[in-house]
Amino acid sequence: MENGIDKLISQKIEAMKNGTNVYQTGHVIAVRDYIVEISGMEQVSYFERVVIGSDSEGYVDAIGRTSVMVALTKKGSKIHIGDEAVAMGEEFQLTFSEESIGHVVDIFGEDKLMGQRFADSIQLPIETPAIPIMVRSSVVRPLLTGISGIDMLYPIGRGQRQLIIGDKKTGKSQIALDAIANQKDQNMLCIYVAVGKTKKEVKDVYNQLLKQGAMGYTIIFAAFNDECAPVLEKTPYAAMTVAEHYMRQGRDVLVVIDDLKRHADVHREISLLSGKVPGRDAYPPDIFYAHARLLEKGCQHMDGGSISILPICETKGGDITDYISTNIISITDGQIVLSARSFEQGQKPAINYGLSVSRLGGAVQTPEMKKRGSVVRRDLLSYLEQKEIFELANMDEMSQDLRDHMLRGAKILENLKQYKFALRTPEEMLRSFEGMY
Amino acid sequence: MRIGKVVSVSGLKIEILLENEAAGIRDTVYVDTETTHYRFEIEEIRGQVAYAIAFDMANGLRRGLDVYLEEGGLQIEYSDAILGKVFHSYGEPIDGSKVENPRTRGIYERNLSMSEIEIDGDILWTGVKVLDFFAPMRKGFKMGLLGGAGVGKTVLIKELIHNVYANLQSNSVFVGVGERSREGRDLYDEMLEAGLLDKIAMAFGQMGDNAMARSRAVHSGLTLAEYLRDERRQDVLLFIDNIYRMVQANSEIATELERMPIDNGYSTALLTEISEVEERINSTDGGSITSFQAIFIPADDMTDAAVHAILQHLDGQVVLDRKVAEKGLYPAIDVFSTTSRLIDPEIVGQRHFDLVEKALWFLSRYRDLEQIVAVLGIDELSQDDQNVFYRSRKLRNYFSQPMFVAEQFTGIPGAFVKIEEVLDDVEGILTGRFDNVDESRLTYIGSASTLLKG
Repeated sequence: MENGIDKLISQKIEAMKNGTNVYQTGHVIAVRDYIVEISGMEQVSYFERVVIGSDSEGYVDAIGRTSVMVALTKKGSKIHIGDEAVAMGEEFQLTFSEESIGHVVDIFGEDKLMGQRFADSIQLPIETPAIPIMVRSSVVRPLLTGISGIDMLYPIGRGQRQLIIGDKKTGKSQIALDAIANQKDQNMLCIYVAVGKTKKEVKDVYNQLLKQGAMGYTIIFAAFNDECAPVLEKTPYAAMTVAEHYMRQGRDVLVVIDDLKRHADVHREISLLSGKVPGRDAYPPDIFYAHARLLEKGCQHMDGGSISILPICETKGGDITDYISTNIISITDGQIVLSARSFEQGQKPAINYGLSVSRLGGAVQTPEMKKRGSVVRRDLLSYLEQKEIFELANMDEMSQDLRDHMLRGAKILENLKQYKFALRTPEEMLRSFEGMY
Repeated sequence: MRIGKVVSVSGLKIEILLENEAAGIRDTVYVDTETTHYRFEIEEIRGQVAYAIAFDMANGLRRGLDVYLEEGGLQIEYSDAILGKVFHSYGEPIDGSKVENPRTRGIYERNLSMSEIEIDGDILWTGVKVLDFFAPMRKGFKMGLLGGAGVGKTVLIKELIHNVYANLQSNSVFVGVGERSREGRDLYDEMLEAGLLDKIAMAFGQMGDNAMARSRAVHSGLTLAEYLRDERRQDVLLFIDNIYRMVQANSEIATELERMPIDNGYSTALLTEISEVEERINSTDGGSITSFQAIFIPADDMTDAAVHAILQHLDGQVVLDRKVAEKGLYPAIDVFSTTSRLIDPEIVGQRHFDLVEKALWFLSRYRDLEQIVAVLGIDELSQDDQNVFYRSRKLRNYFSQPMFVAEQFTGIPGAFVKIEEVLDDVEGILTGRFDNVDESRLTYIGSASTLLKG
């Protein structure tokens, strides 16, 4: 603890000696929600941290010819025209403590449950440059979720980005929580990013993970619904910086982002408030890039570490072909689609096996899982397709081939049912299909 | 040379107050701070003010910084040594290699005149049944691969690289635009493993890179292909995955420049920007460029303005359909909207032409029957319709194919099927020679002739 403060003091003394402790100031000339216009601050840099009044804070979002736009990340007491704004001479950064594991934290380095800051923390950039193609390597190591329908049929590898998509109340977050719970003793660091969730929801996630004994290797990054929109927008990037920080130390990291539809809406809100041109569905044209650069942080690094990402996206009316969903699907390495109909029929997890995809497939499975998984998937898909056609046909009049096929299909579907936190090992999964083939 | 000072910064755009007239549109300029070297391209000049777009992140830029002109603009270095190398959008190798004794070429320079362009070429078989049957192509052809998210565009592109390129023995250029970096890396590794790397040059501006990088990757890659065509006089294969991302990046840039958008936020200059690139992709009497261009369909909306603008330039299109993919049949091709200029009795021959017509008739009848069956059951159909129903299902299954590059998903080794066999098989299925074969045995096979023997 002294360490951190000592460092801070010596930095300040150094700054005084070099004469760099002179701050630029300006005055508020306009306020629009959390976007504040400031005149003055001639030499301010893009994305520099700015303090307004005594307790509001933000970063430079645009430098105009005569004024500067600041997006607020903390809104203290009321901001008045003429209030003083001070440019802090440093980039707006994320405050992070290595002690965050096991806690609910935000990008300011605060423990949200205890309501206090961590004693020892480091500053990291909110966003880092893209991870180049040539330092990546192939995704081949499995990341097991403990769910048969995923590990056998649509497997996930370390370094993969697998979208979980579906309507409200179809069990999207539950799949992610199952996956986190299944990482126990797998030498995996998990980061759960809550974007625009309620405090109640985040507390529930925390309690569930605690009960499963998963908080010992998990950090929850939370940007609550009622925080300034720029915080909600930046939190996923900041969480990814933390993931990269650990990946570069050779760690495997799993990041869950809950959820990207809300993130897209926040991005739209800020863009439109800042006067940018709207595009399809009023989202700004850079919405694809906003998600692409975030999810492209997922990779298997050639030095050994990896970042796997399970982004979550909420749909309406089961439509996965809307703008934001198709954008994200075109970024991720596959998707687990959940359907309300399966959920109501008691098929849990409510995976739509026809629409789900893993672009890496067998490359991330063990030979046994790959062999059995590909056969089961083919049988299941052809069963689901034929079921619709032959629903009205009389079973007794079917050819033996077809009847066997139909019976086996129904049995596979039954076998894939699994309730929450009822995690299975690969051996258990394989055993459940023994005798069927 | 110094040209002026930064007067404003927002996102990707800076405004430069010019002090002389040295800089022009598309010139590259740069700014240095204590820690970072920033590069920009000038997009617009209004009197004393120039608007430029950043090549990378703008964090740390401020007013008053001096702006300098980079001599020569965006260039790519080339020589015979480009093969086997990986470049980024701004023309530099990113695999740690160097181009020895290079000459340089501006990435915007080349333009073809009408007299230079050559339009006839030999038919090029891809070994993918459904493509060769419904949408054959030839040297110098431009083929679009359209599909929404996650229906298998990239797998198909990779299969084509595998099949066409391994058989044609010509050099090729792969341009990755706004796609996954992981796939770029995998492609590189696969080429290396297959011993094909010395025949391919790659340029990447992937989805994690900013709009400028994604917009200019095509220009850089194209310049490499033009070098092989013009100076080496070769037949070049050009793969662009995915051309839509260039349009998307351009609309991001247009937004930064505060230009008026057209529908769905696309850049006002949408048509101009696509034409500029597409008109460069052509064959001359010295060499040809045959291109496969993947096209993303945003929100599964086939009427999208950008998709249409790109399609105008293509000779053929292959459309991938989510409904087919849902049934687990890959390549998930919608045969009704998959077309090629070559489906003409004079080019592919009368038999092939007639079979395509007949197959389409069967499949379209099947589409109608499917709805009747869903309500009434199969037994209510007449014998003729039952034949159409069952044979169409077999035909549909037959057009699925194990692909070489998808072996890890399917566990089945890939198959290259000759067009003569495809024609025989299709004819056989439609005329009932396979009536006694169970439909599931026709999925994921190469030629069907072996099924008849047993």
